Amino acid sequence: MFKLMRFLKPYWWQVIILLLATGGQVYTTLQLPALMADIINNGIVESDMATVWKDGLLMLGLATISALASFISSYFSAKVGAFFSRDIRAAVFQKVLMFNLADIKNYSTASLITRTTNDVNQIQMIVTMMLSMLLRAPLFCVLGLVMAIQTAPEMSWIVAVGIGAVVISVIIIMSLVAPKFKVFQKLVDKVTLITRENLTGLKVIRAFNNESIEKRKFTRTNDELTKLLIFVDRILELQNPLINIIFNGTTLLCSWIGISLLDQNYSYLGNMTAFAEYVTFVMMSFLMLSLFFIMIPRANVSAGRINEILKVAPKIHFPKKTRGVPNKKASVEFRKVSFAYPDAAEKVLDDISFTAEAGKTTAFIGSTGSGKSTLINLVPRFYEATSGEILIDGIDIKEYAKDDLMQKIGLVPQRGVLFSGTVKSNIKFGAPNATDEQVRKAAEIAQADGFITRLPNGYGSHITQGGTNVSGGQKQRLSIARAVCKNPDIFVFDDAFSALDMKTDARLREALKPITSDAVVLIVAQRVSTIKDADQIVVLDKGKMVGKGTHQELLGCCKVYQSIVKSQLSDAEFRKEMHGATR
Amino acid sequence: MGPHGKESAGKVKNSRFAFKEFSHSIKPYWISITFSVLLAVGSAILGLFTPKLLGDMTNIAINSYPNINWGEISSKAITVVILFASSAILQYAQAFVLAVVSAHYTKDLREKIIDKIARLPISYFDKHKYGDILSRMTNDVDVLTTSMSQEIADVSLSVTILIGVMTMMLTISVPLSLVAFIVVPISVVVVGRIANFAHKYFREQQATLGVLNSKIEEDYAGLIIIKSNSFEGAATSSFGETNDKLARATTKAQIFSSLSFPVTHIFTNLGYIAICVMGGMFVIDKSLTIGGVQAFIQYVSRFNRPITEIASTTTTIQSLLAASERIFEFLSEPEEEPDFEPALTIPSIKGEVEFRNVCFSYDGVTPIIKDFSVKVAPGTNVAIVGPTGAGKTTIINLLMRFYEPDSGDIVIDGVPIKEIKRADVRQLFGMVLQDTWLFSGTVDENLRYGRKDASLSDIKAAAKFCNIEHIIEALPHGYKTMISEDSDNVSAGEKQLLTIARAMVANPPMLILDEATSNVDTRTEHLIQESFEKITHGRTSFVIAHRLSTIRNADLILVMRDGRIVEQGNHETLLKANGFYAELYNSQFAEN
Repeated sequence: MFKLMRFLKPYWWQVIILLLATGGQVYTTLQLPALMADIINNGIVESDMATVWKDGLLMLGLATISALASFISSYFSAKVGAFFSRDIRAAVFQKVLMFNLADIKNYSTASLITRTTNDVNQIQMIVTMMLSMLLRAPLFCVLGLVMAIQTAPEMSWIVAVGIGAVVISVIIIMSLVAPKFKVFQKLVDKVTLITRENLTGLKVIRAFNNESIEKRKFTRTNDELTKLLIFVDRILELQNPLINIIFNGTTLLCSWIGISLLDQNYSYLGNMTAFAEYVTFVMMSFLMLSLFFIMIPRANVSAGRINEILKVAPKIHFPKKTRGVPNKKASVEFRKVSFAYPDAAEKVLDDISFTAEAGKTTAFIGSTGSGKSTLINLVPRFYEATSGEILIDGIDIKEYAKDDLMQKIGLVPQRGVLFSGTVKSNIKFGAPNATDEQVRKAAEIAQADGFITRLPNGYGSHITQGGTNVSGGQKQRLSIARAVCKNPDIFVFDDAFSALDMKTDARLREALKPITSDAVVLIVAQRVSTIKDADQIVVLDKGKMVGKGTHQELLGCCKVYQSIVKSQLSDAEFRKEMHGATR
Repeated sequence: MGPHGKESAGKVKNSRFAFKEFSHSIKPYWISITFSVLLAVGSAILGLFTPKLLGDMTNIAINSYPNINWGEISSKAITVVILFASSAILQYAQAFVLAVVSAHYTKDLREKIIDKIARLPISYFDKHKYGDILSRMTNDVDVLTTSMSQEIADVSLSVTILIGVMTMMLTISVPLSLVAFIVVPISVVVVGRIANFAHKYFREQQATLGVLNSKIEEDYAGLIIIKSNSFEGAATSSFGETNDKLARATTKAQIFSSLSFPVTHIFTNLGYIAICVMGGMFVIDKSLTIGGVQAFIQYVSRFNRPITEIASTTTTIQSLLAASERIFEFLSEPEEEPDFEPALTIPSIKGEVEFRNVCFSYDGVTPIIKDFSVKVAPGTNVAIVGPTGAGKTTIINLLMRFYEPDSGDIVIDGVPIKEIKRADVRQLFGMVLQDTWLFSGTVDENLRYGRKDASLSDIKAAAKFCNIEHIIEALPHGYKTMISEDSDNVSAGEKQLLTIARAMVANPPMLILDEATSNVDTRTEHLIQESFEKITHGRTSFVIAHRLSTIRNADLILVMRDGRIVEQGNHETLLKANGFYAELYNSQFAEN
């Protein structure tokens, strides 16, 4: 929590004003009961109307100053709180934009989102509270105590009793309830989980006629949650009545002791009323402080999660300017490349070497976990090779400036990713200057023009957040169109065709041919049919390259490739394929 | 707050509906609620006398000074203790009763929602996002019940205190009361005005926060696309813009909401000073006692709070109504039509399925299935092929009665399925979908999902039959291993195998299968294919096919295009016909 306080630095003078204003407000507010005591002791008891008026006007002046100070401190605490959290949010966002895939895998996208949104909101809440309350409460405590003791030193022990009672009751109640909060959160999560399952498994549940079983499961957790809630409330609701008893008791005690002290000093008549008010101020502040300290651990969790992100050091550095002169012809070359996750014993990729040339298609195939996706993610430096080197157009990728490197690459990821905007803005994402004609052409190649023109507003049609208003296949085709529109030297298709039906897949690959005549094409695929015609197929198994060659060559010599092909074709076809290979 | 939170912050569209439904829903609890209100009133009344009695104590002391009448004072003090103690006890009782009511009310609402989910037609979920329904179950129910219990307690307490305090003040001094009655309501009106502003900016803040959150979600999800297109600069500046807007809206909302504090303070102090000064004058001309002034000052400070609270109820009621509207709107959605009465049954199933001129559209406008007719003999393995959007999945949805045809009939063994109970129709089919849904629980629990009374040996037999026995036994706890939809101890392909085994445990007479297309490694793929072949053997089965082997082994291939069957037959005859199927096949499988 305190590590985040460095974000307050730009606002230091506002915090100082805030502090001064708060001090002023507390001081003036605390003068009022003293003046009232003076009215009673010197004005009323002595029947001195002039004192009553004098004190009254003084009180009025002080009250106005107090209000002004209070306004200033509210203004700055609101402002500082809001802008402080704005800065934290921006810092987290910018940090995440610099993350590589290993970092993202480490934290998961969902968790990164919560950290940037919920966690920052938590911090904002606590900081705004802290600025307006945490400064005020201790001041009230200290000054209130001083004033109380000054007014009636003989009664000061009452303050101790009152504070002690407030603190003890809060601690007891919280220590009874706090352990239950975790259980409570778990049950709430479980209720949400079951509801979620009921929604996502809608068809399966109905197909198996299991609605009543799901209901029973839900009811059990729901009942448990209700019981716990009632238990917690039974204790938690004690708080207000207890505090009321304590406050009333203290006030009564003040009157009682005040009256008993009248014998020694008649001025206790006014003082005991003032004293009772001071005690109330002090006890209120303590109540607030203790509630605040209960909130701190929760904010600390959020702060910890934010700090964790902020202190991640970027592991991949790009030079400011590209060093070296690239070859004219596009190419991608892997030289003895290995990759392992940090702290992982096993290598994901082990000693991979190949060259992919312009106008040729290089395909990667292998079972899940063979490392093929990781391999192509090394090209745009989303991961950094642990050893070996990767050359693009003859230059090590580490020598490229970031934008120069990315400019060369058209990436289509496994899951079609779209951004809210229009169809057009999505296709133009990587090529902001593309003309409408280029956009349309790209969509045509990606087999997307057909469905786009059928949309109500064609290329101007709205795409919702995450592209939820188009189907999976359409999303994938738009994401291919986006890469095509960029007209890159290197196309990277990471299993991008599997969401398409076989026919669209085939048509699309045919349409890609003319525009990729000068480009390097890297394809990761599951279906043999997608890559059969590739100029070079790299077969991966558990991170090792176990075969490299054309479909026919591999059928002849590569066991892993044979078994992959076999699993996807019928026996008769497989025999035919094998026959073709040996011929 | 997620992207769905912003919807609940919206304004109420139909307050009358929201209010009517809400008051109807709390009817079963009216006795407890009334009881709790009475307790609140009692507690407030008992609490009223403390300042007055304390003032009396002072007066007794002054009047008997210097021989203070301790007897009378202590009897007053004891009364005070009894009063505030019993007030506190009533307050606790009130809070507790209300807590129990609201806990049970919450529970009932949640149950109603989960029931509703089970009774809504599947088509409802095509048009509504899960997240939205989920947020009604969680956020809205929370808001409704907390604001309900808060309102009940606050309003009853505040009104009682207000009336009581006013009475007490009047008994002490009429002119002083008049001063208080003028100053305090003015402050409440001003504060209410400010609160309105604050509310407006809070809404703006919530809306901006929603926009910002979706931006963050979107950018994080598409991070590699942003990076590979050098879009970081644009993304950062667009984020920064919204982030700035949020900070400004937050500042305004905070300022206005915290402004109410100094403003109330000014007025409180004004009242306080006026009462000190005037009270002082009254005491001097003997029309008021010192104890009276003392008590009066305490009452004034108690007078403020209930008024501010009553003023703030409008905001709470707004959010209560908004939540109530969202919940009851969902609860009053039209449900699935009841089963046909008297429902027919199929005593012993043969497995003959016939579609007779079936037409269907999801939205009532665009027809998806057009005049679909086919008769499938018992035991036939049917493969449905065709391009995306041809209506393949819809046929399966109609067969399972997830949707009802607009016209035409689906007939099983001569009985139209619309005259059979939905549950009975679904009993006839084992279903394996692409979407491999498993609930969080053990492997064993998931496998027996279709037949609770299956013995362990049944389960094991099914697992063995579906080639997943070894995989399950290799898991850390075997059949007792916990799995869930998003658990990563089993791969996507293994999940598919589990769903096949799950269907097999139920041992249904017919099967519906939707082949997965992607993300399955080759070894598992092979196992899936093998078990597909095994389980379809001898059963009437409908397979949405993507694999060549499945298609070639099928007894009957239905080639669909734009909601119609354009060709049917087996692989050889269809190839010979050289039509749409041949084109489809050649583009994909054949040698060039």
